[in-house]
Amino acid sequence: MVLGFLASQLLVGLSRAMILFIVSAGLTFVLGVLRVPNVFHGSLYMIGAFSAFSIATQLGHHPASVWVAFLTAPLVVALIGLAVERTLLTRLYQREHLMLILFTFGVTLVLNDLVKLAWGADYRSILPPPVLQGSAVLMGVPVPRYNLFLLAVGPLVALGMWLFTHRTRIGKLARAAAVDREMVALLGIDVNHVFAGAFLVGAYLAGLGGALVAPSTSITLGMDHTILIEAFLIVTTGGLGNIWGALLGALLFGLTQSLGVLIWPQFAIVFPYLATASVLLVRPRGLLRSVW
Amino acid sequence: MSEILRVEEVTKTFDRFVAVQGVSLSVEEGTIAAVIGPNGAGKTTLFNLITGILHPNRGRILFQGEEITYLPPHVICQRGIGRTFQIANVFPRLSVFTNVQVAVLAHQRRSLHFTHPAERLAIREAEVALAAVGLLEKAGQVAGTLSHGDQRLLEIAIALGTEPRLLLLDEPTAGMSPEETVATMKLIRRLAQERGLTILFCEHDMEVVFATAYTIMVMHHGRILAQGPPEVVRAHPEVQQAYLGASDA
Amino acid sequence: MVKVRRPATSETLAGRTWPIGFLLILIPALLPAILPIFYTYLLALIFVMGLLAMSLNLVLGYGGIYQFHHAVFYGVGAYAVALSITRAGWPAPVAFLLAPLASGLTGLFIGWFCVRLTRLYFGMLQIALGSLLWVIVLRWYSITGGDNGIHDIPIPSFLRQILPAYYFILAVVVISLLVLYHIVRSPFGVTLQAIRDNAQRCQVVGVNVRLHQLVAITLAATFAGVAGALYVVLERSVFPSMLFWVLSLEVLVMCLLGGWYTFLGPMVGAAIVVTLRTTAGRYTENWTMILGILLILLVFFMPEGVLGFLGKLIARVALPQGRQQEFKRAESAQAEEKVIPGRSSHE
Repeated sequence: MVLGFLASQLLVGLSRAMILFIVSAGLTFVLGVLRVPNVFHGSLYMIGAFSAFSIATQLGHHPASVWVAFLTAPLVVALIGLAVERTLLTRLYQREHLMLILFTFGVTLVLNDLVKLAWGADYRSILPPPVLQGSAVLMGVPVPRYNLFLLAVGPLVALGMWLFTHRTRIGKLARAAAVDREMVALLGIDVNHVFAGAFLVGAYLAGLGGALVAPSTSITLGMDHTILIEAFLIVTTGGLGNIWGALLGALLFGLTQSLGVLIWPQFAIVFPYLATASVLLVRPRGLLRSVW
Repeated sequence: MSEILRVEEVTKTFDRFVAVQGVSLSVEEGTIAAVIGPNGAGKTTLFNLITGILHPNRGRILFQGEEITYLPPHVICQRGIGRTFQIANVFPRLSVFTNVQVAVLAHQRRSLHFTHPAERLAIREAEVALAAVGLLEKAGQVAGTLSHGDQRLLEIAIALGTEPRLLLLDEPTAGMSPEETVATMKLIRRLAQERGLTILFCEHDMEVVFATAYTIMVMHHGRILAQGPPEVVRAHPEVQQAYLGASDA
Repeated sequence: MVKVRRPATSETLAGRTWPIGFLLILIPALLPAILPIFYTYLLALIFVMGLLAMSLNLVLGYGGIYQFHHAVFYGVGAYAVALSITRAGWPAPVAFLLAPLASGLTGLFIGWFCVRLTRLYFGMLQIALGSLLWVIVLRWYSITGGDNGIHDIPIPSFLRQILPAYYFILAVVVISLLVLYHIVRSPFGVTLQAIRDNAQRCQVVGVNVRLHQLVAITLAATFAGVAGALYVVLERSVFPSMLFWVLSLEVLVMCLLGGWYTFLGPMVGAAIVVTLRTTAGRYTENWTMILGILLILLVFFMPEGVLGFLGKLIARVALPQGRQQEFKRAESAQAEEKVIPGRSSHE
């Protein structure tokens, strides 16, 4: 029974880690390619969750409604991100980090108020798609099907990001720009397109994380706060700009939290912060190679 | 004459790239010595090693007979080595005067003092250093607004503010007009004479070096090819082939 | 010997305005006589937040250090007062003296690890360590009261009314600002600005850059602790959100909004944010959107902040013709400086 509890805690931790990974991957990608510490990444995540809620409830009880929400909500978020990037952020790339933080924080305040106007301050929730509701029994332990689904999605996103950055032209350019943006510009390529594409992908991942977390949590104002700090810590632990580092950091964060429940439930949330702080004390530039 | 700086078999690698390889050199007190070599020969890396900004993988560096190899930059400066950088490297938001004053205050070990406003401190020393390079008139300007040539001079004044025994100048004439170059070299000779300063500078402009330095070291691909008085170096066959012949042709 | 002329910057312009400085103290001292209670409270809150922002600006604007989690030191100061009065039962004066001490030590401790790093890495390690403190305060219910915080802290009875509290806060803030002003102009302050401009150059003139940064962080944390203690005087409550990163970001915004290259800028920034929150917050739920739009406009049109902008405006109008040229060049040089990323990093 103890072993079963351990296994189910592990599963909870891993599925939480997958959400964290998806959001952090977007943050770290933007950080690596554009060198922008995007403070409104958390807001995009929140908008992803609220959009998924609205789309799913609009479509009603159709079995596919949540699936549609999973597919479309991130796109909505990606477009919002792209709009901000194209109209405003693109003019600021030469500015110092503090100004970028100031700007993206300003956008955060605007977006969060828009969310409040659009959805109000109530708690919202949606159910997982019908096939993913309830529990499956694995080795005698009941585990929520939705968690198993998240466990499968995380690696898929990682694979997708790998294919994008290694197999597509714009992805390869983005990777090159992360290392040396002058060189990419010298190749006669409009860095602006690369940046816009990278930001689009980053925002999409924030939205995807928000949409996927929607059935497993209460959707509410303020959900952007914790995810943002967690994502930033994860990204730094992994190495700024390193997608695999984000995966590693997310696993560390998710697992220490869920295993912390076993050790000292009241302080469970302290463990991931302790773990990341310890890692950063020893390796302040992160576990894997940073592009900075 | 005694030896002021001694570099023994120093090697520095970045990943797999060997920037400085087994370099040994020696500088006599009161002389003007020069390191020449094409861009990428390892001159700046060598200067960074001597001033503690980088630490070597192997080898020793001795200043006035004491080892300084792994000391941090500020301690090396306090021991008496001042330097300038290849790219004008001043405090752009501060006034020209304050630029030098900061160096003087650091030299007087007063940079951690809180009791008096800085305005009234280290004025004479800073003004002497500024006068030495001819920038006293512009003391009130914001350093970032100076012309490139003046910023290079200001750099030298900052270095003088710490009253060094040995002054390292990294391509002091880079980006200067021919007239400015001549004036700067004159300044260097004057500083060496009037203040008894030992100067080690690096350059890739041959003419400048042969006219100014007493001792010349030729660097190429991270190694020292030859060192000695100008006429010896000029006649050195390897130097002629590797540098005078090939790179500057 | 040539008389050294000081550079024409908004910095020195502010330095020449002692009469204005006197008015800056006199007016707030008289205001409660004519203001309704609510606005007296509002002013007191502005002073507390302004002191917090100005303490941050010692490291941010003057030191060029990415102090991303300054609120932690503020929270530690506030909790030091709250805990030593409610849990340890110590007298209030001891508690108030303990606050800056606790914050300063926290600053020293966190700073010790962070000064090895620069820029974003510095900021992120500080966020990691600071968040650890936050989450401990948030969860340690038996001591800190967890997310409920601690309320009705029994501070001395004479401070429980708004007017005495206001004057107490005003006095402490004025003294703190005078000390900060003295620090900024001292050899240490000047050296700190040189480090901000070019840390590598500082190293090779013999400045122990990390030591100076550590001292600056400790000092800034100490003053943040003073602000934290003053908050307890004003509100008699503490919350874990006082250590949350959102507040750190808000304080950072106050500095940039008011002008991080000016001495009083952060106070102006605090005044704008606090006023906006309390007054606009009465008419609309969406005051944060107004602030957000303000910030975005600021980044585009007033990157030097309100006071930085005003300083330039005044310089343009008031300076004699000759010096205006000089000033324009200073401006363009500073603008150039901005587009060279990582100029002063020394990795």
